[in-house]
Amino acid sequence: MSTITSDEVQSAATTTVEKPSRKRKINWWRILSYLVLLIFAIVYLGPLFMLVNTSLKTTPDFFKNATSLATSLNFDNFVEAWEKASFPRLLLNSVIYTAVSTTLYIITAIFVAFPLARGLVRGHKFLYTLFVIALFLPAALIPQFQLILNLGLYNNPVGYMLFFLVNPIGIIILVGYIRTLPRELDESAAMDGCGYFRFVWQIIIPLSRPAIATVIVLHAIGIWNELILPTIYLTSEEYFPITRGLIVFQGVYGSDWPTLAAAVMMITVPMLILFLFLQRHMISGLTAGAVKG
Amino acid sequence: MTQYLFGTSWKRWLPFLFLLPGLLAYFIIALGPSLATSVFSLTDVSGIPGIPINWIGFENYDEFLLRGLASRDNLAAITRTLIFMFFVTTIQFTLGLVVALLLNQGLKGTRYFRVLFFMPVILGVTIQGLIWTLFLYPLGGPVASITNDFLGLNLGFLGGPPREAFAWVIVVQIWANMGITMVIFLAGLQTVPEELYEVAEIDGANTWEIFRNVTWPLITPVVNTNLILNIIGSLQAWQLFLVLTGYKAGTQVMGYLVYAEGFGQTSGGAGASFRQGYAAAASMVLFVIVLVLGLSTQFLVQRRERRLLG
Repeated sequence: MSTITSDEVQSAATTTVEKPSRKRKINWWRILSYLVLLIFAIVYLGPLFMLVNTSLKTTPDFFKNATSLATSLNFDNFVEAWEKASFPRLLLNSVIYTAVSTTLYIITAIFVAFPLARGLVRGHKFLYTLFVIALFLPAALIPQFQLILNLGLYNNPVGYMLFFLVNPIGIIILVGYIRTLPRELDESAAMDGCGYFRFVWQIIIPLSRPAIATVIVLHAIGIWNELILPTIYLTSEEYFPITRGLIVFQGVYGSDWPTLAAAVMMITVPMLILFLFLQRHMISGLTAGAVKG
Repeated sequence: MTQYLFGTSWKRWLPFLFLLPGLLAYFIIALGPSLATSVFSLTDVSGIPGIPINWIGFENYDEFLLRGLASRDNLAAITRTLIFMFFVTTIQFTLGLVVALLLNQGLKGTRYFRVLFFMPVILGVTIQGLIWTLFLYPLGGPVASITNDFLGLNLGFLGGPPREAFAWVIVVQIWANMGITMVIFLAGLQTVPEELYEVAEIDGANTWEIFRNVTWPLITPVVNTNLILNIIGSLQAWQLFLVLTGYKAGTQVMGYLVYAEGFGQTSGGAGASFRQGYAAAASMVLFVIVLVLGLSTQFLVQRRERRLLG
């Protein structure tokens, strides 16, 4: 599985592939290429377009003809969805879950990754292996549930967030990156009397910024999009994150597609805008997450 | 162990001390529970607190695979999981490769296409599922207008017969994840030296020959990565089913079955099921399938890689 490094992925994500064309292409080949890409683009944009179009329609319009173009810009659906779905609370919950657990995770992860990368603790190779095999082990769903139940943390935001303090892939990415930082850094810093904590905090963290950004993005998007854990562990609506909220909203207003589409839009659009700005980090982060080191 | 540079005596314990929180969290929340799945699978533990737990040996496995009322359905779910894996892997792999090759020619607009095809990955299963539920709206939705109104088919989409609903979930699964396959292929394609293409062209090779004899062997590492990722990923995937079809008879895959048995989401039966021991046994069965297929694929591709790249 380690056939591709996250660096390679990163470079695929960052460098544009627009290198000089390797051949004076015969025109029809280029046209055919664009044609195929265009078909793909339609399949990728179609569902989004349908979402936007539906969110602007009135409900009677939608039932009359689901596919017809919206004739006017009707934003009532957004107002309705915002009020009915208690959006502000759902969003706030998601933001809190994501921000708090990502912050805690990344700090603990760095202090796990640095000594493992440098071999500063006994059995570091074994410990590292333990993080690698996590990716192949059976799903932990059932014992985790028993654990949370017995700790009395069922339907408790703290119990829910515990799950996001762990992400072995992130550790693997960080270890891989820190290994590339020269050891001379440690030596000269130690010579100047720099302590362990200060060295990691002030030298290693700033130098590992690319890897840290990748891991933060990977971890945060995972939390933001998580649907199963809140479905299992959170039963009070006041604790629901946005994903769970949307599914509940669908259950109640499922047939009122214009309102539901407006609700989905209000989550999708900010994510897409964020994606356009952070696409390099997001593509490299999520791909590295899939590749797992 | 490397020599410790940051102080002497008690200060030598600092790296271990700072490592502990992350390590303990990992042991308690992930690794421990994961290993404990095998233990729980030998008990009749339920999801309802306060009920005594009994040791029942391999009864759960026996019931799940051989003797239980649902064993026939369970075996069907295993077969279905393999079918899902087969179609998702082959189609996603092929489309990802085709798109990556198209985007590796230096065409104008490449960047925009790449961002567009990756986009669903960031949206997550909830939004992916809801968007496609709308796109596949059966009463005059965009796809229905083409297939039913124009082509005269009589498709029911996600609410249609189980086989059809299942096929649509495969479509959405591929739509959602092809971007990752594509980016990994692109990363591999960029490692192929430009000169090799030039040499091949001078030798008079056509596009297909160049692909077959230059590109394909040289991107072996990413071919292997994608193959294994797609196989393992699609064997474990089930969350889109939750959003798109629900726990619908005739569409269940193993991952969903584990969740449904363990957390009372099974439909149809009277009374919710919280049979977590049974569910743990089911997840061990899935684990074995993933392990066997994952390792044998790994073995095969590594042998091929040694043969091709030395």
